[in-house]
Amino acid sequence: MTLYSTPDTDAVVAAENRPKALHRNRKGRGIGLAIGAGLLLIGLVVPYVVNDNFTMSLLVTSSLMSLMALGIGFLARYLGLFSLGHGAFYGCAAYAVAIATTNWGWGPLPAVIFGTVFGALVALIIGVLVVRASGFGFLMLTLALSQALYQMSNQTVMRPLTGAHDGKLITYTGNATFFGLSMSDMMDPGLFWPVAWVALVVTGVILWLFGRSRFGTTLEGIRENEERMRFSGFNTFRPRLAAFVLTGAAASLGGALFALNVGYISPDILSFGKAGDSLVAALIGGLGTLVGPVLGTFLFVYAQANFNFGGNIHLLTGVLLIVVLVFAPGGITGALTKPYRYWRAKLTQRGKGAEK
Amino acid sequence: MSVFEGSGVSVKYGAVTALDSVDIALEPGILHGVIGPNGAGKSTFIDALSGRKRVSSGRVTLDGEDITRRSPRWRRGHGVSRSFQRTSVFGSMTVREQLEMVARKNHEPDLDDVIETLALGDVTERVCSEIAYGTQRLVDLAISLVGRPRVVLLDEPCAGLVADESAQMLTHVRTLCKERNVAAMVVEHDVDGVFGNCDVITVLNLGKVLATGTPAEIRADETVIKAYLGSAA
Repeated sequence: MTLYSTPDTDAVVAAENRPKALHRNRKGRGIGLAIGAGLLLIGLVVPYVVNDNFTMSLLVTSSLMSLMALGIGFLARYLGLFSLGHGAFYGCAAYAVAIATTNWGWGPLPAVIFGTVFGALVALIIGVLVVRASGFGFLMLTLALSQALYQMSNQTVMRPLTGAHDGKLITYTGNATFFGLSMSDMMDPGLFWPVAWVALVVTGVILWLFGRSRFGTTLEGIRENEERMRFSGFNTFRPRLAAFVLTGAAASLGGALFALNVGYISPDILSFGKAGDSLVAALIGGLGTLVGPVLGTFLFVYAQANFNFGGNIHLLTGVLLIVVLVFAPGGITGALTKPYRYWRAKLTQRGKGAEK
Repeated sequence: MSVFEGSGVSVKYGAVTALDSVDIALEPGILHGVIGPNGAGKSTFIDALSGRKRVSSGRVTLDGEDITRRSPRWRRGHGVSRSFQRTSVFGSMTVREQLEMVARKNHEPDLDDVIETLALGDVTERVCSEIAYGTQRLVDLAISLVGRPRVVLLDEPCAGLVADESAQMLTHVRTLCKERNVAAMVVEHDVDGVFGNCDVITVLNLGKVLATGTPAEIRADETVIKAYLGSAA
């Protein structure tokens, strides 16, 4: 092949293809939104199918933790950053809800909004400090800062706010309701499920749309080649910070709703275990797709609750993680979509062969 | 007055002076070659001019305005772009995706013209990491040309290309420089290519300017012959 073939008809053909590609893009968005709406409706049926409270509560917990995993997965996919800090936003938002309701007498809805905004604010402050780092630096910094928050929440001086080591029981003033749910309704997994599920699907769709937008392309460019982005006129700090705060807000929403659902915040919520679990779950599910971390979280929560033989859960988790990463580096969704990607690559290759 | 000027540009690494008071002036439509043996400071020079490396002393100006301390992002936004010696593209994106991304940022009115000029039409829908190295170099060049920059600094555009491709690349750069009236500087190892295509040549040696002039002047320059070209030239 010569380096400079004359600009022949191929360039013209490519130019003609452009509007079509754009059209396909729009169609893809339509299909995605339809799938999102379908999932939303199907999910709402779940409490009528699943009758036992235990499984139902696992599903609610999974949905709320998935909000955190979604964020972790988004950062990993679009920026190549692995965060151990999203547990901090989850936990901070939960504490913020507990403080707003119990100490300040706020209603559940304003408290959830406050919790989410507060968690996002914590993400903004931490983000300014960490998003310039990459790889291990980023991982360790997010771990260090979230552990600092954990220690802080456990200090005796914090007792009036966080309850320190005792944790914090959430109480409401008067007959507080959340979308028609009373306090005891919120703690009933079957009744709280629609809230958790809608939050998960809507957040998932929002993140998906962000990923497909110009913002997503810019993030991808930064992941691929940060220096060239700067030399191409892009600010590479702000998009990274925005992605960090966006995913932090998703985790915060999960934490805020979690607080309403359990009615009690244990100091464990900010511990390393929570953030680590979510990252492990996201890895097992697969970071290549948006669905992967969600699927991973549901399986993870289910497995943790049902396969805890003799208290060796961490041993089993570790072994499972190694098995998955060795045999299916792309996680479960990676392994499932492999035949499809192989087939598509084959098909495009054959298509190209036919053209020549 | 030149569009883009570096005057007295020096870069020091601790006690080592990599670049010692180098001057350069780029004019629209003029292709300015920078040559010199290994370690002459060519790459350091382009890094200093493009804002990748901090200048220890000296000034870089654009239209007479001091831009020595401006960020690479600012420079790109104001029409100064550069390419990289080690191919610097976006591996996981298709050629079109990455060019469109950069085009949106830099307000390129006619991206298809850039694609056509560099004959990248065949590969627009291919993922960049999968195309041939020589073509990746063209994508690299295309990324720096998007948005009609007035000043283009090219760091060894022919690095890693075979002789044929290398010759074509330089004639291509020359054509682009003339057609688009760009003030272009090209740092290059390929001495013959530079003599054949550049209007003005600056020879660097050990961080200093040995000579600046037309190819004919450089060829006749005693110090250049002694230090760099050898008697064969």
